[in-house]
Amino acid sequence: MGGLNTSLLIGVQALDANQGALDATSNNIANVNTPGYTREVAQFGENGETQSGDDVAGGGVTLEGLQSVRDELLNIQIQQQTSQQSSADAQSTSLQQVQTYFTTNGDDIASELTALSSSLAQLSASPSSASAQLGVLSAGQNLADAFNTTAQGLTTAQSDADQQVTQTVSQINSLTQQIAQLNGQLSQVPAGENGGTTQDQLDQLVQQLSGLTNVSITQTSDGETITTGNGTPLVMGNQSFTLQTTTGSDGFQQVLDSNGNNITTSISGGTLGGAIEVRDQTIPGLLSQLNTLASQFGTAFNNAQAQGFDSNGNAGANFFTIPTNPNDAAAGISVALTNPTQVAISSDGSAGSNGNIANLSAALTNALPSGESAANAYASLVFSVGNAASNASTQSTAIGQNLTQLTTQQGAVSAVDINEETTNLMRFQAAYEAASRIVSTVQVLDNAALNMGSSTSF
Amino acid sequence: MRIDPNVVPTILADLQQSQVSLNTALQEVSTGKSVNVPSDNPSAAADMVENTIETGDVDQYTQNVNGTLSTVQSASSILSSVVTSLTQAVSLGTEGANGTNSTANLQALATQVQGILSTVVSAANTSFAGSYLFGGTSTATPYSADSSSPTGYTYNGNNDTNSVTIGDNLSVQVNVPGSQIFSNSSNNVLGSLNSLVTALQSGNSSDIETATNSVDSALNFVGQQQAVYGEAESQLNSQETSLQQDTVELSTQENNLIGVNEATAATDLSQAETDNSAALAAAAKVLPNSLLNYLAPPS
Repeated sequence: MGGLNTSLLIGVQALDANQGALDATSNNIANVNTPGYTREVAQFGENGETQSGDDVAGGGVTLEGLQSVRDELLNIQIQQQTSQQSSADAQSTSLQQVQTYFTTNGDDIASELTALSSSLAQLSASPSSASAQLGVLSAGQNLADAFNTTAQGLTTAQSDADQQVTQTVSQINSLTQQIAQLNGQLSQVPAGENGGTTQDQLDQLVQQLSGLTNVSITQTSDGETITTGNGTPLVMGNQSFTLQTTTGSDGFQQVLDSNGNNITTSISGGTLGGAIEVRDQTIPGLLSQLNTLASQFGTAFNNAQAQGFDSNGNAGANFFTIPTNPNDAAAGISVALTNPTQVAISSDGSAGSNGNIANLSAALTNALPSGESAANAYASLVFSVGNAASNASTQSTAIGQNLTQLTTQQGAVSAVDINEETTNLMRFQAAYEAASRIVSTVQVLDNAALNMGSSTSF
Repeated sequence: MRIDPNVVPTILADLQQSQVSLNTALQEVSTGKSVNVPSDNPSAAADMVENTIETGDVDQYTQNVNGTLSTVQSASSILSSVVTSLTQAVSLGTEGANGTNSTANLQALATQVQGILSTVVSAANTSFAGSYLFGGTSTATPYSADSSSPTGYTYNGNNDTNSVTIGDNLSVQVNVPGSQIFSNSSNNVLGSLNSLVTALQSGNSSDIETATNSVDSALNFVGQQQAVYGEAESQLNSQETSLQQDTVELSTQENNLIGVNEATAATDLSQAETDNSAALAAAAKVLPNSLLNYLAPPS
């Protein structure tokens, strides 16, 4: 049967419900700047009517819970794009570093090829000049140094990428452990709460993980199952699978799954994928071009030396020492001659002849066995480096724009809006005040009922 | 539809974007180059490798042309003086052959021709910039006196020639060996002068005439040899012109590849500055705004 108590009950329920909604609003405002936080909305539900005889009374309100507002599909898209962007960024950073060695700065290979070519032309005009002979020898020395420095720069970038592989793998392991733990907690969260803060934390960690490597996520009853792009399991339920690294035959770190299978080549995306791409594809390609150039040019120049005689009338000795291992050609090429008089200037053995300089110059301008002249081969190398660096940064920019778009969409769904929360604050405040008024009114009415018939009441 | 209430990332992205444009514009204006690292324009950077090397070569070829030109000119002028000397010797020989000279006169003529011979030998031994002009590729003094030789002099040089590189696959011959000019077996300058001296000393008119004729033919031969230098000189001059054109073309190409149009760069810079200020001003206006600013504080 309805009565004052019903109103009092409804009033108290309303106080409770609006109190809960105020709490949610406060929490939203408090977390406005928390990364990964998803706004929570209070879910009000009306209680069933109570009917007694002809009297029908409303049942008041219940706060059914707090709903985190999120779009899982957007999250997955963001994760995929993040993964691609991190990969492009890792490559771009590494190649930006590498390309400084291919920038014309006076010490690069192009400048030193120029100097060698000029010094030979100068020597042709004054073949017996000691300073012109020295000019050729030091230009050759500088060119060998430039090859060494450039090869060194590439190798350094490669080993930096290698270190990044090791670091990234340990970051992945630490993240998958935390994710597995959260998965365990998530399975205990009531379904109606949409994961709440645990899901926020989980999403945040998965987002970080996808920055490290490309992951694929499946929702199961045990939480999220996470595998790498090619299917190596990382997290299943509350269990995580540790990736390992081991030194491979090339001296670089190989990535192994929890069973010890080598999965290095199948890893794509993320910092890990980017570092592996740079380390195992991009830089080896550039190094091989550089080594071919160093070795073929060095050999051609040595052959040209052999066609002539030095200033002492001896047959031309090798100008450059080229390492026998072709993979060390650029890093190890050095000048074999010790004295400027050993430059094979003469074609006939007499000291004043300059007939062999044409052969030495031809080593610079004629096509090497690769089909290109030294200058052209180096130009192709510069193009390869520039193109790779430019592609990586263009890709990063393009994905970045895409990602901004997706993040904006995600923000539209999940982010806390101060204005909205302020409005809610006022709504719930008003409702709370009104509900308090119900309680106080019922109290007055109760008093009135209790004092019915008393003379003091009038 | 709800919109993203968080404008900070968008504003930051915009600010960053305008900062990037500003930096690029600033770098272009300050360096005068649009390509500073290969990734700015990979194909232009690759073409610049070729351009750099070619420019270096053209600079050096130009220096070679100038250096060689002075060598060739000096050799040519020496041959002119030799021609003058030989002309003088021919007239002395003709004078000695007319049969009216006293012995003393003939001796005087012989002494004069002897003097001419020494002048020619010293001309043949001229060195320029440290090397002998007429010694082939040898570094030895070309001619030394040798009483055992029928000509009175021995050639110590060789028969080789040097060529100086003055272009890609282009070189110019810069010397004619002395053995070809001065002691050639058919037209021997030194030998004919020596015979003239001997003939004048002996006073035999017909010998004098024969010797004079051979000096005359040697004179013509030297004149022909001088043409080699003339040719080299004209080749050098025309190559100098073409190298100047190359220099202009290469620097035009460089400018096209990596240069910056100053007007465009300056406009870009001022545009980037305006964009940047606008983005900053917008951020300053938008960021502090919220409903709270307009609500009365709770009493």
